[in-house]
Amino acid sequence: MIDLQGYGPRLIEGAGVTIQLAVLSLILAIILGLLTASAKMSRNWFLRRTATVYTTLIRGVPDLVLMMLLFFGGQIGVNAISDMLYYSYDIDIYINFNAFAAGVLTIGFIFGAYMGETFRGAFMAVDNGQIEAGKAYGMSNGLVFRRIRFPQMMRHALPGLSNNWMVLLKTTALVSVIGLTDMVRVAAEASRATHEPFTFLIPVAVAYLLIASVSEWIFARLQKHYDIGFGGQ
Amino acid sequence: MAATPTPLEVRNIKKRFGDTEVLKGLSLQAQKGDVITLIGASGSGKSTFLRCMNLLEQPDDGDLIVHGEPIRFKTTRHGREPEDWKQVVQMRAKLSMVFQSFNLWAHMTLLENIIEAPIHVLKKPKKEALEHAHALLDRVGLTARANAYPAQMSGGQQQRGAIARALAMDPEVMLFDEPTSALDPELVGDVLKVMHGLAEEGRTMVVVTHEMGFARDVSSQVIYLHQGLVEEAGPPDQVLNNPQSPRLQQFLAPKY
Amino acid sequence: MLDISTWFNDLLAGNTIFTADTLGYYWEGLVTTTQLVFLSLVAGLILAVPLAIMRSSKHKWISLPIYLYTYIFRGTPLLIQLYIIYYGVVFIDGIQESFLWPVLREAFYPALIAFTLNTAAYTTEIFRGAIKATAKGEIEAARAYGMSQNLMMRRIILPSAFRRALPAYGNEVIFMLHASAIASVVTLMDLTGAARFVYARYYAPFEAFLFVAAIYLCLTFAILFFFRYLEKKLLAHLRPQDA
Repeated sequence: MIDLQGYGPRLIEGAGVTIQLAVLSLILAIILGLLTASAKMSRNWFLRRTATVYTTLIRGVPDLVLMMLLFFGGQIGVNAISDMLYYSYDIDIYINFNAFAAGVLTIGFIFGAYMGETFRGAFMAVDNGQIEAGKAYGMSNGLVFRRIRFPQMMRHALPGLSNNWMVLLKTTALVSVIGLTDMVRVAAEASRATHEPFTFLIPVAVAYLLIASVSEWIFARLQKHYDIGFGGQ
Repeated sequence: MAATPTPLEVRNIKKRFGDTEVLKGLSLQAQKGDVITLIGASGSGKSTFLRCMNLLEQPDDGDLIVHGEPIRFKTTRHGREPEDWKQVVQMRAKLSMVFQSFNLWAHMTLLENIIEAPIHVLKKPKKEALEHAHALLDRVGLTARANAYPAQMSGGQQQRGAIARALAMDPEVMLFDEPTSALDPELVGDVLKVMHGLAEEGRTMVVVTHEMGFARDVSSQVIYLHQGLVEEAGPPDQVLNNPQSPRLQQFLAPKY
Repeated sequence: MLDISTWFNDLLAGNTIFTADTLGYYWEGLVTTTQLVFLSLVAGLILAVPLAIMRSSKHKWISLPIYLYTYIFRGTPLLIQLYIIYYGVVFIDGIQESFLWPVLREAFYPALIAFTLNTAAYTTEIFRGAIKATAKGEIEAARAYGMSQNLMMRRIILPSAFRRALPAYGNEVIFMLHASAIASVVTLMDLTGAARFVYARYYAPFEAFLFVAAIYLCLTFAILFFFRYLEKKLLAHLRPQDA
């Protein structure tokens, strides 16, 4: 067994941070993605425009730059708000804009743009006649979405979703740069301290591969579930 | 008179796919200038037989002699395969094939398609290949389409272009695998006209086809295959106008 | 000439952050980023062609090691790969005595190696997909016309696969440009490094990072348009002619 020189527990904690960060960002990304997809398909010119600008900007700028902008800029923004509250209303609060929140927000925000594209494609792949049939039987818009559109859309969205998740998972490594102690940061610190980079970095790389493999298995199960009624393939 | 070697001879070709034996011992001899048409219902093995002649399919048994030179085979644990692939490559350059679905190379213009194998396989000088190609394009009536890509041409144009590509190899024998089956009916005529011309100038051809009119007009020999065996063979007059076996009679009967 | 410099100074007048000095940092960052991305893409491309051919081999013992390589490099964060090479290079036996050491000690080369191996892995898979998608009939025609395995690969399969891979490869180029931002983590003064420096110096995150974001955005669009143009030129054969 490799000797982790006492860094073992911290590495495991770091892995926990990585997973939490990834899952929370994924949830945020899915919500933003659904909103973006709806905005892109809406009849409202302004919504469509906003969504397009959002996806274009996100895809044109590196993740790390966006993350730093939000993290370093976010603290200043938050400070300005608390200053304003103090001077105008005499409310004294200190909000700490932490790295975890910045990480979840940025990653969720970035992948929301990619998810938007995935969902839009999936929405459009659902047969419109079935939506009309739902409405014709007196279903409300919400009910049509929940019972007909969403389950069928998921079938088309899953491959893209799974792909985005794999990329998102790797993107979480960037939070170590803005000071969050995920497993990459622990490993990098340990490497510097012990001068044994491989001992720490390679297990972390393996951990990523492991998480990816497990998620691949889960996505395959989900795909099977949503493929019901469409034959194999 | 010095005997010229027979351009193509196949003897006792057998082929099975899994449990089904699709070719049960087929032979054929194409002398210079022969036009041999293979007819038969789908599943009779006629296309597989043709593909065995240039080893796009590996026959399980039988001999293949091209221009007097027998192809050498060896038996491995995967089955029978050619002993020397170089020999096969040289042999293929002597037989050129025209496919049902044209199979022009999509990233090359028609002209590039035609000069590709002459330059890179036959090592012809580019200038010579180009001259030949332009003459062939003229012959199949596609001079105006020389720089078009396959996706920009109609099916009939593509097939005539594919015939020009085959001719550019100066082949001993031309193999046609249902060359008109993928075409719209109104485009079939142009392709058949080109093939007619080739037969008249004495090209050696083996043609798998459903076009009975073509078979009747130009063949020196018609072979009717049924379930991997030759059911009837002979000059078109005999086979097509006076079929002996009830199966062939039924196959040739007008369909209502 | 004088006019331009006066105009430039006027433009910068009253601006405490974007002085000629700061812009110089950004300019150097742009040069570093461009070098890093361009060199790793070229090297990655050169590696990816033979790797993709090997990856498409029907012999398991050839394709499997390549698959393992692409699986690892595509399945782990580039940052980890960069750390492993950056921190790990010191531990190669005798490296510190070798003539390569002065070069490898700089952060630029470990970063270049990491980026190259990373993009080569992605590009290999892109090419493999494109090779696999070659039309069966075209391969058959090549065989029927007496082409050897090598000739067919060179003249038929690769040229058409490259064209088919173009849109996906364009995305990979943009991905590499964005991924190169992590070079700043190992002390390289690339574009992002310059932005971090300006931020730290003036404590002006919005100016520092929005400016660099705008530069990246322009670069991304430039790459995008370049590939659109290439596609238009090289994928002409796939479009039916307008009647």
